Amino acid sequence: MDVTLLKVTAVVYLLATASFILYLVLSKELFARLSPIVLLAGFFVHSSALGIHFFQAGYPAVTQFREALSFYSWLMVGIYLVVQIKYRLNVLGCFIAPLAFLMSLAAFAFGTGSEEIPPALKTYWLPLHVTLAFLGNAVFALAFGVSLMYLLQEYQLKSKRVPRLYERFPSLETLDRLNYLFLVWGFPLMTLGIVTGSMWAGIHWGKYWSWDPRQISSAITWLLYGTLLQGRIAAGWRGKKAALLTIIGFAVVLGYFLSAGSLFPSRHGGRFE
Amino acid sequence: MTVEREIIIVGLNHRTAPVEVREKVAFESAVVGDSLRRLCTLPSIQESVILSTCNRVEVVAVAADEPAAVRDIKNFLAEQECAQGLGGLDRHLYTYSADAAVRHLFRVAASLDSMVVGEPQILGQIKHYYVAAHEAGAVGTILHRLFHRSFSVAKRVRTETGIASRAVSVSSVAVDLARRIFDRLEDKTVMLIGAGKMGGLVARYLQRNGVSSLMVTNRTFERAVELAGEFRGNPIRFEEYARYLKLADLVVGCTASPEILLRREAVEQILKERKQRAMFFIDLGDPRNFDPAVHELDNAYLYNIDDLEGVARENLKGRAEEVHKAEEIVGEEVAAFLRWLGSLEQVPTIVALRQKLEEIRKRELEKSLGTSLKELSERERQALEDMTAAIINKILHSPITHLKRQSGEQDEARYVDALKKLFDLEEK
Repeated sequence: MDVTLLKVTAVVYLLATASFILYLVLSKELFARLSPIVLLAGFFVHSSALGIHFFQAGYPAVTQFREALSFYSWLMVGIYLVVQIKYRLNVLGCFIAPLAFLMSLAAFAFGTGSEEIPPALKTYWLPLHVTLAFLGNAVFALAFGVSLMYLLQEYQLKSKRVPRLYERFPSLETLDRLNYLFLVWGFPLMTLGIVTGSMWAGIHWGKYWSWDPRQISSAITWLLYGTLLQGRIAAGWRGKKAALLTIIGFAVVLGYFLSAGSLFPSRHGGRFE
Repeated sequence: MTVEREIIIVGLNHRTAPVEVREKVAFESAVVGDSLRRLCTLPSIQESVILSTCNRVEVVAVAADEPAAVRDIKNFLAEQECAQGLGGLDRHLYTYSADAAVRHLFRVAASLDSMVVGEPQILGQIKHYYVAAHEAGAVGTILHRLFHRSFSVAKRVRTETGIASRAVSVSSVAVDLARRIFDRLEDKTVMLIGAGKMGGLVARYLQRNGVSSLMVTNRTFERAVELAGEFRGNPIRFEEYARYLKLADLVVGCTASPEILLRREAVEQILKERKQRAMFFIDLGDPRNFDPAVHELDNAYLYNIDDLEGVARENLKGRAEEVHKAEEIVGEEVAAFLRWLGSLEQVPTIVALRQKLEEIRKRELEKSLGTSLKELSERERQALEDMTAAIINKILHSPITHLKRQSGEQDEARYVDALKKLFDLEEK
């Protein structure tokens, strides 16, 4: 993978983070407009890095952990930018931009060399599985962002102190609606991600389900989000409860994703054997 | 020869004059055009705008002879007050001229001079009176520019500082909080319980901010009907209001009821029926109308009058630093405006025009003398020099005479401005 372009990406994401923070602290209109544009610039650099890898290697850069991290942050930023067009949610950018920066930084921590890929990974099922699963998780990252904002805003309203910083936060109603929107989009994507992953496992290992820690954590998250979605639609769950469940669900995903193969031996770890 | 044109402001405001005086001097919006035309017939006044709000009456004018203009405007205002002569009014009046006048107008537009600093109405009022003056033909180049600059100063202050975004009254804090809970107020319903004055204020402010649906209830139904008429809402019988509560997103309580009207358990039940859609309770009652424990419920927010006043006080404290930022913006804009004003004086313009034409003449002459006219003798060269210089002088004669004749007239600045644009005379 083109390391220089990825370094540029990380730097631009850092600039975007700085701009978003300046937007939050000072109330200059300039930063409100500038921040998403800087992030968009980073997204373009990032896209070209991933694009170049795809054309050179012939398969998407998702097979190694650091590649996966980078791909994941790319999806997350992309989805945020789409959401930004419609909802102008600069404050959400204050969560996404630093997250994207940290992820691209972490990608470097896992080495930069190119490794030989086991033949089992040279298939179309894998990129499909990874893309869908990551797309679902990236949407949940945004859901996590709005839920965190919901809790902060709610805490302020409950404690009856209303500092200035929170003036730029969207209303509870908006945040709650976005939580629902992300859930409705994220859940089917995640479901498809699990289905395609299990298909791939079935084809290559002859077993669709192998109680791999990654599979277990996915199942837990899937159940959690499924329950939440069902609760929202049928029982009128909303607000703080929905926000908390979303945050817990994402913590499970993220926790596993970051500890990857290092804590639990798994087929999803850095080396797929 | 330079002609001084000063911007002058004579007026009074909420700090210098009591409301009885302000009321007498105030100009009615409908007749302000006539007053302006009367003002402009005064020989000392070139351009003028009258501002008249409940907190201030000011005449902004452009004049060549400052003392005479100030005297005339004071008399004009005294006539407006009509009761006694100038003696009574004079001690309430302030006068600003030149850069102080520019600064004053910018501060007024940016709501730095308002009784409630940061209140947004003043800009709309200034725009209104500027348009009226424009229609009456009382505005020239200078006031046109001055007022348009003041609008953009106000806009800068509003977007770049937090002055306007801080709610400092109980009603505006309530609306501010409602906006943090609900994304829009247009589709929300308010239930007003009781006929207290504060409750009415808050309800009206919510309506002004978009709330369209309002239910009113009161112990005596006749009073509820009366209030409903006043607010264009629906009257509800007091015995029945609890059944309607689930329809209300905002509940304003302002009764003198000695016991609590709404208990936590009741609200919990209502929230269940509403599928947990959020509710905002505003308790303005004395003693309290709603059970404080309501606030502990998820998706229910209860603020009483003390809470609202507490937030308002906090906001007021934070305003001081924002004012400092705003004053800096005003300072920058005043300097920029004065630079433009200085460039309008005719002497520098005439000099610049002459210089420009002279440069063209020299350049073209040198070009020709160096190439096609190389063979000319010294005498012929001199003749050519004199002839071209004469042409420039002849061309300039009429515009300069015209400009000088305009000096001190209302149109002068417009001519100077046009000349600068036509000949690209940028100040260096």
